[in-house]
Amino acid sequence: MTSEPLPLAFEGIPLGLLPGAGRRGSDPNAVFSLEVRPHETVVVLGDETSGVDRLAALALGLDPAPAGRAMVWGTEIALLSRVRQLAFRRRVGYLPAGDGLLQNLSLRDNIRLPLRFGSDFQPDDIEGRVNVILAQLRLKAVAHFRPAAATEEERRRAALGRALAFDPELVILDQPFDGLGERVAAELLEVARGGDVAEGGHRTVFITGQDLPAKLRPRVERLIRLGAVPAGVHA
Amino acid sequence: MFEAFAAIGRGTTRRFSALGGPARFAFEALAALPSLPGAGRRVAVRVLLNQLRFTALQAVPLVILLSGVLSFVVIQTTMQTFSGLNDFVGTVMVVTIVRLLGPLLTALAVIGRSGTAITAELATNTVMGEIRALEAIGIDPYHYLVLPRLAGSVLSVTVLIVLFDVVALTGGWLATSVNQASGGRYVANVLAALDTSDIVLTVVKGILFGAIIGLLPSYHGLKVSRGPTEIPQAVTRGTVASIGSIFVITAILMLLFRA
Repeated sequence: MTSEPLPLAFEGIPLGLLPGAGRRGSDPNAVFSLEVRPHETVVVLGDETSGVDRLAALALGLDPAPAGRAMVWGTEIALLSRVRQLAFRRRVGYLPAGDGLLQNLSLRDNIRLPLRFGSDFQPDDIEGRVNVILAQLRLKAVAHFRPAAATEEERRRAALGRALAFDPELVILDQPFDGLGERVAAELLEVARGGDVAEGGHRTVFITGQDLPAKLRPRVERLIRLGAVPAGVHA
Repeated sequence: MFEAFAAIGRGTTRRFSALGGPARFAFEALAALPSLPGAGRRVAVRVLLNQLRFTALQAVPLVILLSGVLSFVVIQTTMQTFSGLNDFVGTVMVVTIVRLLGPLLTALAVIGRSGTAITAELATNTVMGEIRALEAIGIDPYHYLVLPRLAGSVLSVTVLIVLFDVVALTGGWLATSVNQASGGRYVANVLAALDTSDIVLTVVKGILFGAIIGLLPSYHGLKVSRGPTEIPQAVTRGTVASIGSIFVITAILMLLFRA
């Protein structure tokens, strides 16, 4: 009997050996392991010395793990060829810290870009999908704004829209709620989860950050705090 | 004594290894071309057209101005200095402008306008986390940012060099006519002095200079790692490296084609 690979798994990642760890004063003996099951919403919190800000990049293979493994659907993205890495990442929705929107494109074009670049959809289908995302994230009125002209909340909404462009099964959100109010954060989390199914959210959601608004905690299946245990964090 | 040789060796090794980064970057950019997805090609072509607008179209007035002023200066200097050699002005124009100054000044103008802009834009993209975000959503920065700029620079510089030469030679004909010299003899001299190698060399220089202006500023822009304060330094490095490379290539081509 074969079991389906987990959407996301970290195995024995030494947080103290990640880039910048010495500068951050991380415990060199701390290792991080975590399994994220389908339809779960899992949040990992930690301060800036904990290494929590590196987990998303490890999962997506943007940074290599110094030891241990970070796997998405059983695959270590960092070990794939560059072409396969890029193709694999299109299966994962990712909202980077800050937002990572391209400043020379409008919010609409930022959401449209991954669809235009990485899919064979017809232009009309792409427009339809983008319009649905804009409506879902209440961005239609400001869709023509460049990121510099939009508010922080609008930029974060657009970045989430870009992450959801391919309607991925797994969404990784890196510090998504920093600077946002509880109501907006709760709304964005609901959009990221994509509604509810019997097992939890429609999508599997992995969130990293320094804090989580209290209003969101009932919607989270598991919340893990890094740094609470001095050495060896096992979830 | 041994220490002195060792120090020279270390310095030389460091300088040559500094060439390795851009060379590797150029190789990776070209190696990424076959993997450009079909849908991505349409987006890349739009970025390329935008690059052509900035690098070629908007540079036309500057190139015409430079070319016109240069041809005027060359002709006035030649006629005043060598008053008995007015009939050879056409030959002088081909030797000084078509073979040397036209490609060089065009490349310098494009570095000043577009090379600096490419470095600053890509360095800002890098500092703002946009490059990493592109990779994270499955878009290769080589496909979306570097290759369209490379192709745009090659096409733009080649076309602008031809424009520079045409404007300069036309300006030369006007200037000789104004100075009561024979316009017909000028044209005959220009045609006699031009040969096939001039056309080949113009195209070769356009491709090589364009490749340098597309690649080196991109390389230095994407290499920024520390923060916004590094952006001006990256622009300086990209500009200096581009100018230096263009002069070195000019000298190498002169040796190769005139040997």
